[in-house]
Amino acid sequence: MNNVLRHIVRIVLLILLQGLFVNNLHWLGVFHPYIYIIGLVMLPMTLPRWAEMLVGAAVGLIMDAICSTAGVHMAACVAISYVRPLLVGRLVQESQRIATQTCTNTIGAWQCLTTAAIMIVLHHSLVLVLEHWSLAHGWWLLMNIILSSLVTFVLFFLYDRTQQ
Amino acid sequence: MRNLLDFIVRYSHLLLFLLLEAVAIWLITHYQSYSQATLFTSANQMVAGINEAGANTANYFQLSRQNEQLNEQICQLQTEVQQLRNRLEQYAEDSGWQDSIPYHYAHLGYRIIPAKVIDITTHQEHNFLTLNKGKRDGIKSGMGVICGESIVGVVSKVNEHFALVVPLIHTSINISARIKKNGEIGFTHWNGMQSHYVQLMEIGRHTSIEEGDTIITSGMTSTFPEGMMIGIADKVRLDDGDNYYDIRLRLSTDFGKLNYVQVLDNTMRNEIDSLHDE
Repeated sequence: MNNVLRHIVRIVLLILLQGLFVNNLHWLGVFHPYIYIIGLVMLPMTLPRWAEMLVGAAVGLIMDAICSTAGVHMAACVAISYVRPLLVGRLVQESQRIATQTCTNTIGAWQCLTTAAIMIVLHHSLVLVLEHWSLAHGWWLLMNIILSSLVTFVLFFLYDRTQQ
Repeated sequence: MRNLLDFIVRYSHLLLFLLLEAVAIWLITHYQSYSQATLFTSANQMVAGINEAGANTANYFQLSRQNEQLNEQICQLQTEVQQLRNRLEQYAEDSGWQDSIPYHYAHLGYRIIPAKVIDITTHQEHNFLTLNKGKRDGIKSGMGVICGESIVGVVSKVNEHFALVVPLIHTSINISARIKKNGEIGFTHWNGMQSHYVQLMEIGRHTSIEEGDTIITSGMTSTFPEGMMIGIADKVRLDDGDNYYDIRLRLSTDFGKLNYVQVLDNTMRNEIDSLHDE
Protein backbone atom coordinates (compact mmCIF):
# COMPACT_ATOMS: atom_id res chain seq x y z
CA MET A 1 0.00 0.00 0.00
CA ASN A 2 2.82 2.28 0.96
CA ASN A 3 4.41 1.69 -2.41
CA VAL A 4 1.21 2.43 -4.34
CA LEU A 5 0.88 5.69 -2.43
CA ARG A 6 4.46 6.60 -3.27
CA HIS A 7 3.84 6.20 -6.99
CA ILE A 8 0.59 8.17 -6.89
CA VAL A 9 2.19 11.02 -4.95
CA ARG A 10 5.19 11.07 -7.31
CA ILE A 11 3.03 11.17 -10.44
CA VAL A 12 0.78 13.92 -9.06
CA LEU A 13 3.74 16.03 -7.91
CA LEU A 14 5.50 15.63 -11.27
CA ILE A 15 2.34 16.65 -13.15
CA LEU A 16 1.99 19.75 -10.95
CA LEU A 17 5.69 20.56 -11.39
CA GLN A 18 5.32 20.20 -15.16
CA GLY A 19 2.11 22.24 -15.39
CA LEU A 20 2.93 25.00 -12.94
CA PHE A 21 6.65 25.39 -13.40
CA VAL A 22 8.37 23.68 -16.34
CA ASN A 23 5.69 24.72 -18.88
CA ASN A 24 6.15 28.34 -17.78
CA LEU A 25 9.89 28.33 -18.32
CA HIS A 26 10.58 29.20 -21.91
CA TRP A 27 13.78 27.33 -22.48
CA LEU A 28 15.14 29.58 -25.23
CA GLY A 29 12.14 28.58 -27.32
CA VAL A 30 14.11 25.64 -28.70
CA PHE A 31 13.49 22.82 -26.27
CA HIS A 32 10.66 21.80 -24.06
CA PRO A 33 11.29 18.94 -21.60
CA TYR A 34 8.38 16.84 -20.33
CA ILE A 35 9.53 15.66 -16.92
CA TYR A 36 6.16 14.27 -15.84
CA ILE A 37 6.83 11.01 -17.72
CA ILE A 38 9.52 10.16 -15.17
CA GLY A 39 6.59 8.94 -13.03
CA LEU A 40 5.62 6.50 -15.79
CA VAL A 41 9.22 5.34 -16.33
CA MET A 42 9.58 4.47 -12.64
CA LEU A 43 6.38 2.43 -12.24
CA PRO A 44 7.00 -1.05 -10.79
CA MET A 45 7.86 -3.73 -13.35
CA THR A 46 5.37 -6.20 -11.94
CA LEU A 47 2.44 -3.92 -12.76
CA PRO A 48 -0.06 -5.66 -15.12
CA ARG A 49 0.20 -4.30 -18.64
CA TRP A 50 -3.44 -3.23 -18.85
CA ALA A 51 -3.07 -1.24 -15.62
CA GLU A 52 0.09 0.41 -16.88
CA MET A 53 -1.61 1.52 -20.10
CA LEU A 54 -4.61 2.88 -18.20
CA VAL A 55 -2.32 4.84 -15.87
CA GLY A 56 -0.51 6.18 -18.94
CA ALA A 57 -3.79 7.20 -20.59
CA ALA A 58 -5.00 8.97 -17.43
CA VAL A 59 -1.73 10.84 -16.91
CA GLY A 60 -1.70 11.84 -20.59
CA LEU A 61 -5.28 13.12 -20.44
CA ILE A 62 -4.56 15.26 -17.37
CA MET A 63 -1.50 16.72 -19.11
CA ASP A 64 -3.61 17.38 -22.21
CA ALA A 65 -6.11 19.35 -20.15
CA ILE A 66 -3.28 21.44 -18.68
CA CYS A 67 -1.47 22.02 -21.99
CA SER A 68 -4.69 22.35 -24.06
CA THR A 69 -3.45 19.72 -26.50
CA ALA A 70 -6.40 17.31 -26.70
CA GLY A 71 -5.11 13.77 -27.15
CA VAL A 72 -1.45 14.48 -27.93
CA HIS A 73 -0.02 13.60 -24.53
CA MET A 74 -2.48 10.75 -24.15
CA ALA A 75 -1.30 9.14 -27.39
CA ALA A 76 2.36 9.49 -26.42
CA CYS A 77 1.88 8.24 -22.84
CA VAL A 78 -0.14 5.21 -23.92
CA ALA A 79 2.57 4.40 -26.46
CA ILE A 80 5.41 4.49 -23.91
CA SER A 81 3.31 2.54 -21.38
CA TYR A 82 2.79 -0.13 -24.06
CA VAL A 83 6.47 -0.22 -24.98
CA ARG A 84 7.94 -0.32 -21.47
CA PRO A 85 7.02 -3.95 -20.60
CA LEU A 86 8.43 -5.02 -23.98
CA LEU A 87 11.73 -3.29 -23.19
CA VAL A 88 11.77 -4.73 -19.68
CA GLY A 89 11.09 -8.20 -21.12
CA ARG A 90 14.13 -7.87 -23.35
CA LEU A 91 16.53 -6.22 -20.93
CA VAL A 92 15.76 -7.53 -17.45
CA GLN A 93 15.71 -11.14 -16.28
CA GLU A 94 12.49 -12.30 -14.70
CA SER A 95 14.10 -12.87 -11.29
CA GLN A 96 15.32 -9.29 -11.22
CA ARG A 97 11.95 -7.63 -11.87
CA ILE A 98 11.26 -5.94 -8.60
CA ALA A 99 7.86 -4.85 -7.39
CA THR A 100 8.85 -1.54 -5.80
CA GLN A 101 9.97 0.73 -8.59
CA THR A 102 12.16 0.95 -11.68
CA CYS A 103 15.46 2.72 -11.05
CA THR A 104 19.17 2.03 -11.46
CA ASN A 105 19.48 0.67 -7.92
CA THR A 106 16.77 -1.95 -8.37
CA ILE A 107 17.44 -3.29 -11.88
CA GLY A 108 20.95 -2.18 -12.78
CA ALA A 109 22.27 0.96 -14.39
CA TRP A 110 22.34 0.29 -18.10
CA GLN A 111 19.01 -1.60 -18.18
CA CYS A 112 17.27 1.26 -16.41
CA LEU A 113 18.92 4.06 -18.38
CA THR A 114 18.30 2.35 -21.74
CA THR A 115 14.63 1.84 -20.89
CA ALA A 116 14.30 5.45 -19.77
CA ALA A 117 16.14 6.83 -22.80
CA ILE A 118 14.01 4.91 -25.32
CA MET A 119 10.78 5.90 -23.54
CA ILE A 120 11.78 9.56 -23.31
CA VAL A 121 12.83 9.85 -26.96
CA LEU A 122 9.69 8.02 -28.13
CA HIS A 123 7.43 10.22 -26.00
CA HIS A 124 9.04 13.52 -27.01
CA SER A 125 9.07 12.56 -30.69
CA LEU A 126 5.38 11.62 -30.63
CA VAL A 127 4.34 14.74 -28.73
CA LEU A 128 6.24 17.12 -31.00
CA VAL A 129 5.23 15.43 -34.25
CA LEU A 130 1.56 15.11 -33.23
CA GLU A 131 1.48 18.68 -31.94
CA HIS A 132 2.80 20.11 -35.18
CA TRP A 133 0.86 17.56 -37.20
CA SER A 134 3.44 17.55 -39.96
CA LEU A 135 7.04 16.64 -40.69
CA ALA A 136 7.71 19.98 -42.37
CA HIS A 137 10.61 21.90 -40.82
CA GLY A 138 12.21 18.46 -40.28
CA TRP A 139 15.59 19.64 -39.01
CA TRP A 140 14.14 22.07 -36.54
CA LEU A 141 11.79 19.35 -35.27
CA LEU A 142 14.63 16.85 -34.97
CA MET A 143 16.81 19.29 -33.06
CA ASN A 144 13.90 20.13 -30.79
CA ILE A 145 13.26 16.42 -30.07
CA ILE A 146 16.94 15.70 -29.36
CA LEU A 147 17.50 18.70 -27.07
CA SER A 148 14.23 18.24 -25.16
CA SER A 149 14.84 14.51 -24.66
CA LEU A 150 18.35 15.24 -23.46
CA VAL A 151 17.13 17.67 -20.80
CA THR A 152 14.44 15.25 -19.60
CA PHE A 153 16.97 12.41 -19.54
CA VAL A 154 19.49 14.40 -17.49
CA LEU A 155 16.75 15.36 -15.02
CA PHE A 156 15.66 11.71 -14.82
CA PHE A 157 19.29 10.69 -14.17
CA LEU A 158 19.65 13.24 -11.36
CA TYR A 159 16.34 12.23 -9.78
CA ASP A 160 17.26 8.55 -10.08
CA ARG A 161 20.41 9.18 -8.01
CA THR A 162 18.21 10.08 -5.04
CA GLN A 163 16.25 6.82 -5.17
CA GLN A 164 17.10 3.65 -3.23
CA MET B 1 -16.43 -18.34 -31.29
CA ARG B 2 -13.73 -20.11 -29.29
CA ASN B 3 -11.16 -18.93 -31.77
CA LEU B 4 -12.36 -15.40 -31.45
CA LEU B 5 -12.13 -15.55 -27.66
CA ASP B 6 -8.65 -17.04 -27.91
CA PHE B 7 -7.66 -14.26 -30.24
CA ILE B 8 -9.00 -11.58 -27.90
CA VAL B 9 -7.28 -13.10 -24.86
CA ARG B 10 -4.02 -13.55 -26.71
CA TYR B 11 -3.88 -10.04 -28.11
CA SER B 12 -5.70 -8.30 -25.28
CA HIS B 13 -2.80 -5.95 -24.57
CA LEU B 14 -2.39 -4.98 -28.18
CA LEU B 15 -6.15 -4.46 -28.50
CA LEU B 16 -6.27 -2.27 -25.40
CA PHE B 17 -3.29 -0.32 -26.74
CA LEU B 18 -4.97 0.20 -30.11
CA LEU B 19 -8.25 1.18 -28.44
CA LEU B 20 -6.59 3.82 -26.23
CA GLU B 21 -4.56 5.16 -29.15
CA ALA B 22 -7.74 5.33 -31.24
CA VAL B 23 -9.38 7.43 -28.51
CA ALA B 24 -6.33 9.73 -28.42
CA ILE B 25 -6.22 10.11 -32.20
CA TRP B 26 -9.94 10.82 -32.22
CA LEU B 27 -9.42 13.54 -29.60
CA ILE B 28 -6.57 15.04 -31.63
CA THR B 29 -8.45 15.15 -34.91
CA HIS B 30 -11.73 16.19 -33.33
CA TYR B 31 -10.30 19.06 -31.28
CA GLN B 32 -7.54 20.05 -33.63
CA SER B 33 -9.46 22.89 -35.20
CA TYR B 34 -8.95 25.87 -32.99
CA SER B 35 -12.52 27.03 -32.80
CA GLN B 36 -13.81 23.69 -31.55
CA ALA B 37 -11.41 23.47 -28.66
CA THR B 38 -13.95 24.25 -25.99
CA LEU B 39 -13.49 21.30 -23.68
CA PHE B 40 -9.73 21.44 -23.49
CA THR B 41 -8.80 25.08 -23.84
CA SER B 42 -7.23 26.93 -20.98
CA ALA B 43 -10.26 29.16 -20.81
CA ASN B 44 -11.80 26.12 -19.21
CA GLN B 45 -12.51 27.47 -15.73
CA MET B 46 -10.90 24.76 -13.62
CA VAL B 47 -7.63 24.54 -15.51
CA ALA B 48 -7.54 28.32 -15.79
CA GLY B 49 -7.73 28.41 -12.00
CA ILE B 50 -4.70 26.13 -11.70
CA ASN B 51 -2.83 28.15 -14.30
CA GLU B 52 -3.61 31.36 -12.46
CA ALA B 53 -2.10 29.88 -9.29
CA GLY B 54 0.95 28.89 -11.31
CA ALA B 55 1.30 32.33 -12.83
CA ASN B 56 0.99 33.91 -9.39
CA THR B 57 3.85 31.82 -8.04
CA ALA B 58 5.98 32.54 -11.07
CA ASN B 59 5.22 36.23 -10.56
CA TYR B 60 7.16 36.48 -7.33
CA PHE B 61 10.38 35.46 -9.04
CA GLN B 62 9.99 38.15 -11.66
CA LEU B 63 8.98 41.09 -9.49
CA SER B 64 12.24 42.98 -9.67
CA ARG B 65 12.47 42.72 -13.44
CA GLN B 66 8.85 43.80 -13.77
CA ASN B 67 9.53 46.82 -11.62
CA GLU B 68 12.33 47.80 -13.95
CA GLN B 69 10.09 47.39 -16.97
CA LEU B 70 7.31 49.41 -15.34
CA ASN B 71 9.76 52.12 -14.49
CA GLU B 72 10.98 52.24 -18.05
CA GLN B 73 7.42 52.47 -19.30
CA ILE B 74 6.61 55.27 -16.88
CA CYS B 75 9.61 57.19 -18.11
CA GLN B 76 8.67 56.70 -21.73
CA LEU B 77 5.09 57.75 -21.03
CA GLN B 78 6.22 60.83 -19.14
CA THR B 79 8.38 61.94 -22.03
CA GLU B 80 5.53 61.28 -24.41
CA VAL B 81 3.08 63.26 -22.29
CA GLN B 82 5.55 66.11 -22.20
CA GLN B 83 6.01 66.05 -25.96
CA LEU B 84 2.26 65.91 -26.60
CA ARG B 85 1.68 68.74 -24.16
CA ASN B 86 4.24 70.85 -25.97
CA ARG B 87 2.68 70.07 -29.31
CA LEU B 88 -0.80 70.86 -28.01
CA GLU B 89 0.38 74.22 -26.77
CA GLN B 90 1.98 74.80 -30.14
CA TYR B 91 -1.27 73.97 -31.94
CA ALA B 92 -3.26 76.09 -29.57
CA GLU B 93 -0.96 79.01 -30.23
CA ASP B 94 -1.08 78.49 -33.99
CA SER B 95 -4.82 78.09 -34.33
CA GLY B 96 -5.88 80.27 -31.45
CA TRP B 97 -8.52 77.70 -30.51
CA GLN B 98 -8.00 74.49 -28.56
CA ASP B 99 -11.20 72.54 -29.04
CA SER B 100 -10.40 70.80 -32.29
CA ILE B 101 -7.67 68.55 -30.89
CA PRO B 102 -9.41 67.04 -27.85
CA TYR B 103 -12.45 66.48 -30.05
CA HIS B 104 -10.37 64.49 -32.49
CA TYR B 105 -8.73 62.37 -29.78
CA ALA B 106 -11.94 61.54 -27.96
CA HIS B 107 -13.65 60.37 -31.10
CA LEU B 108 -10.89 58.14 -32.38
CA GLY B 109 -10.18 56.98 -28.86
CA TYR B 110 -9.46 53.52 -27.61
CA ARG B 111 -10.40 52.55 -24.09
CA ILE B 112 -7.58 50.61 -22.46
CA ILE B 113 -8.30 47.63 -20.19
CA PRO B 114 -5.24 46.35 -18.29
CA ALA B 115 -4.99 42.56 -17.91
CA LYS B 116 -2.56 39.95 -16.74
CA VAL B 117 -1.38 36.91 -18.69
CA ILE B 118 -2.05 33.80 -16.62
CA ASP B 119 -1.10 31.20 -19.20
CA ILE B 120 0.86 31.32 -22.42
CA THR B 121 2.25 28.81 -24.86
CA THR B 122 5.01 29.69 -27.32
CA HIS B 123 6.22 26.32 -28.56
CA GLN B 124 3.11 25.04 -30.28
CA GLU B 125 1.81 25.77 -33.73
CA HIS B 126 -1.48 27.08 -32.34
CA ASN B 127 -0.26 29.17 -29.45
CA PHE B 128 -2.55 31.15 -27.21
CA LEU B 129 -2.62 33.35 -24.13
CA THR B 130 -5.16 33.33 -21.34
CA LEU B 131 -5.94 36.66 -19.65
CA ASN B 132 -7.38 37.11 -16.17
CA LYS B 133 -10.11 39.49 -17.41
CA GLY B 134 -13.29 38.52 -19.22
CA LYS B 135 -16.78 39.66 -20.16
CA ARG B 136 -17.28 41.09 -16.70
CA ASP B 137 -14.47 43.58 -17.34
CA GLY B 138 -15.81 44.55 -20.75
CA ILE B 139 -13.61 42.39 -22.94
CA LYS B 140 -15.18 41.16 -26.16
CA SER B 141 -13.85 38.88 -28.86
CA GLY B 142 -12.08 40.69 -31.68
CA MET B 143 -10.41 43.29 -29.45
CA GLY B 144 -6.71 43.99 -29.97
CA VAL B 145 -4.17 43.18 -27.26
CA ILE B 146 -0.96 45.19 -26.84
CA CYS B 147 1.97 45.37 -24.45
CA GLY B 148 3.21 48.93 -24.20
CA GLU B 149 3.81 50.07 -27.77
CA SER B 150 3.92 46.60 -29.34
CA ILE B 151 1.04 44.45 -30.44
CA VAL B 152 0.45 41.02 -28.94
CA GLY B 153 -2.63 39.49 -30.59
CA VAL B 154 -6.40 39.47 -30.86
CA VAL B 155 -8.98 38.28 -28.32
CA SER B 156 -10.63 35.16 -29.66
CA LYS B 157 -12.95 33.94 -26.94
CA VAL B 158 -14.24 35.29 -23.64
CA ASN B 159 -16.13 33.87 -20.75
CA GLU B 160 -17.16 35.55 -17.51
CA HIS B 161 -13.68 35.87 -15.94
CA PHE B 162 -11.12 34.88 -18.57
CA ALA B 163 -10.25 35.68 -22.15
CA LEU B 164 -8.38 33.63 -24.73
CA VAL B 165 -6.04 35.55 -27.04
CA VAL B 166 -4.65 34.38 -30.36
CA PRO B 167 -1.12 35.87 -30.46
CA LEU B 168 0.92 36.98 -33.48
CA ILE B 169 2.72 33.65 -33.20
CA HIS B 170 -0.28 31.54 -34.24
CA THR B 171 -0.22 29.99 -37.69
CA SER B 172 -3.71 31.11 -38.62
CA ILE B 173 -3.57 34.79 -37.68
CA ASN B 174 -2.58 37.57 -40.08
CA ILE B 175 -2.18 41.19 -39.01
CA SER B 176 -2.23 44.01 -41.50
CA ALA B 177 1.18 45.72 -41.40
CA ARG B 178 2.93 48.72 -42.93
CA ILE B 179 6.55 49.57 -43.61
CA LYS B 180 7.02 52.75 -41.63
CA LYS B 181 9.35 54.59 -44.01
CA ASN B 182 7.34 54.22 -47.23
CA GLY B 183 3.86 53.16 -46.13
CA GLU B 184 3.81 49.92 -48.18
CA ILE B 185 1.19 47.50 -46.82
CA GLY B 186 1.45 43.75 -46.28
CA PHE B 187 0.48 41.32 -43.56
CA THR B 188 2.24 39.17 -40.98
CA HIS B 189 2.25 35.41 -41.02
CA TRP B 190 3.84 32.95 -38.60
CA ASN B 191 5.37 29.73 -39.90
CA GLY B 192 5.13 27.85 -36.60
CA MET B 193 8.85 27.80 -35.78
CA GLN B 194 10.58 30.39 -33.62
CA SER B 195 8.55 32.53 -31.28
CA HIS B 196 10.73 35.61 -31.84
CA TYR B 197 10.11 35.94 -35.56
CA VAL B 198 7.22 36.27 -38.01
CA GLN B 199 7.14 36.58 -41.79
CA LEU B 200 6.00 39.74 -43.57
CA MET B 201 4.04 38.78 -46.69
CA GLU B 202 2.88 40.46 -49.89
CA ILE B 203 5.62 43.07 -50.14
CA GLY B 204 6.16 43.37 -53.89
CA ARG B 205 9.60 43.58 -55.53
CA HIS B 206 9.15 47.19 -56.58
CA THR B 207 9.23 48.24 -52.93
CA SER B 208 12.43 49.30 -51.24
CA ILE B 209 12.96 47.58 -47.92
CA GLU B 210 16.12 46.93 -46.01
CA GLU B 211 17.13 45.06 -42.92
CA GLY B 212 16.48 47.25 -39.90
CA ASP B 213 13.33 48.86 -41.26
CA THR B 214 10.52 49.31 -38.76
CA ILE B 215 7.18 47.57 -39.36
CA ILE B 216 4.05 49.03 -37.76
CA THR B 217 0.33 48.31 -37.80
CA SER B 218 -1.42 49.72 -40.85
CA GLY B 219 -4.55 51.07 -39.16
CA MET B 220 -6.59 49.38 -41.90
CA THR B 221 -8.65 47.46 -39.34
CA SER B 222 -10.47 48.74 -36.30
CA THR B 223 -8.59 46.31 -34.05
CA PHE B 224 -5.38 48.31 -33.73
CA PRO B 225 -4.74 52.01 -34.22
CA GLU B 226 -2.19 52.92 -36.85
CA GLY B 227 1.48 53.00 -35.93
CA MET B 228 1.71 50.37 -33.19
CA MET B 229 5.01 48.54 -33.25
CA ILE B 230 5.13 45.03 -34.76
CA GLY B 231 8.82 44.46 -35.28
CA ILE B 232 12.02 45.15 -37.18
CA ALA B 233 12.89 43.60 -40.55
CA ASP B 234 15.65 41.20 -39.71
CA LYS B 235 16.24 39.18 -42.88
CA VAL B 236 15.24 40.47 -46.31
CA ARG B 237 15.61 38.27 -49.38
CA LEU B 238 14.44 38.60 -52.95
CA ASP B 239 15.13 35.65 -55.26
CA ASP B 240 15.30 36.18 -59.01
CA GLY B 241 11.89 35.56 -60.49
CA ASP B 242 10.04 36.10 -57.24
CA ASN B 243 7.40 38.79 -57.19
CA TYR B 244 7.39 39.14 -53.45
CA TYR B 245 10.11 39.62 -50.86
CA ASP B 246 10.94 36.99 -48.27
CA ILE B 247 10.99 39.09 -45.11
CA ARG B 248 11.56 37.93 -41.56
CA LEU B 249 10.60 40.29 -38.72
CA ARG B 250 12.08 40.24 -35.27
CA LEU B 251 9.02 40.82 -33.08
CA SER B 252 9.21 43.67 -30.63
CA THR B 253 7.01 41.69 -28.22
CA ASP B 254 8.96 39.10 -26.24
CA PHE B 255 6.30 36.40 -25.79
CA GLY B 256 8.55 34.46 -23.43
CA LYS B 257 8.44 37.28 -20.88
CA LEU B 258 4.93 38.56 -21.42
CA ASN B 259 3.15 39.31 -18.16
CA TYR B 260 0.99 42.41 -18.17
CA VAL B 261 -0.89 43.45 -21.30
CA GLN B 262 -3.46 46.04 -22.33
CA VAL B 263 -6.67 45.23 -24.19
CA LEU B 264 -7.85 47.88 -26.65
CA ASP B 265 -11.54 48.63 -26.81
CA ASN B 266 -12.21 50.67 -29.90
CA THR B 267 -15.16 52.77 -28.84
CA MET B 268 -15.86 53.62 -32.47
CA ARG B 269 -15.83 50.01 -33.60
CA ASN B 270 -19.58 49.52 -33.89
CA GLU B 271 -19.90 52.66 -35.96
CA ILE B 272 -17.12 51.57 -38.32
CA ASP B 273 -18.49 48.03 -38.60
CA SER B 274 -22.03 49.20 -39.26
CA LEU B 275 -20.70 51.20 -42.23
CA HIS B 276 -19.20 48.02 -43.66
CA ASP B 277 -22.45 46.15 -43.19
CA GLU B 278 -24.56 48.67 -45.03
